Amino acid sequence: MVKMKTIRIKFNKELYGREAIEAAVEDYIGLACFCIDELKYEFGVNLSKIDEEIFDRIEDEFCNYVLAKTINL
Amino acid sequence: MKIIDNTVKLVINEDVYSLEAVYGASFVFIDKLYIYLDKTEKGIIVRLKGKEVLSKKELEAIEGEFLNELLNYSLRISLAENNKKIRELIVSQAICSAVGISKGNESGFKYEDDPLGIAIPWEDKYGKNEDDKNKV
Repeated sequence: MVKMKTIRIKFNKELYGREAIEAAVEDYIGLACFCIDELKYEFGVNLSKIDEEIFDRIEDEFCNYVLAKTINL
Repeated sequence: MKIIDNTVKLVINEDVYSLEAVYGASFVFIDKLYIYLDKTEKGIIVRLKGKEVLSKKELEAIEGEFLNELLNYSLRISLAENNKKIRELIVSQAICSAVGISKGNESGFKYEDDPLGIAIPWEDKYGKNEDDKNKV
């Protein structure tokens, strides 16, 4: 089952890389729908249709994953 | 330091700690904590959130450990920077030595030529003369 609520996460451009965000989205694609947008100082990622089972954790886990990808890229 | 909602919030002065050091320290804790970075004019904001519910004491301890790790990485980065030239020199010399050996092969030496005389049996190289052979 999916939850219809949307989560929006902001990633500061000076701290997180776009490549890392895109790579993380690719790996998480089965768990939610992702939409990336770019503003002046940050990237925004909207998560929707999130799997109910992981709804409470997905934001934190995704942020960690993006950080790990940023550091390793 | 600010503790709220199982999260410690730190403000890191960029004049003191580099982003690389923040990344390094963050990576150490990434399996134990949820880590979120942001930036303001004050510096880099680091939010450390427990993957389980943690007490105030535990969160304070985590803050201390993170700051220690930050210092550790800052020192590592500083040492790496100071030793960069000598490290490059050592590596260059090592590579040049290796290239020197392989250059010998490129100029026509084959192992059958046995330039160092390794294939010669010891007895033939240093063998006893006829008189020594007859002695018992």
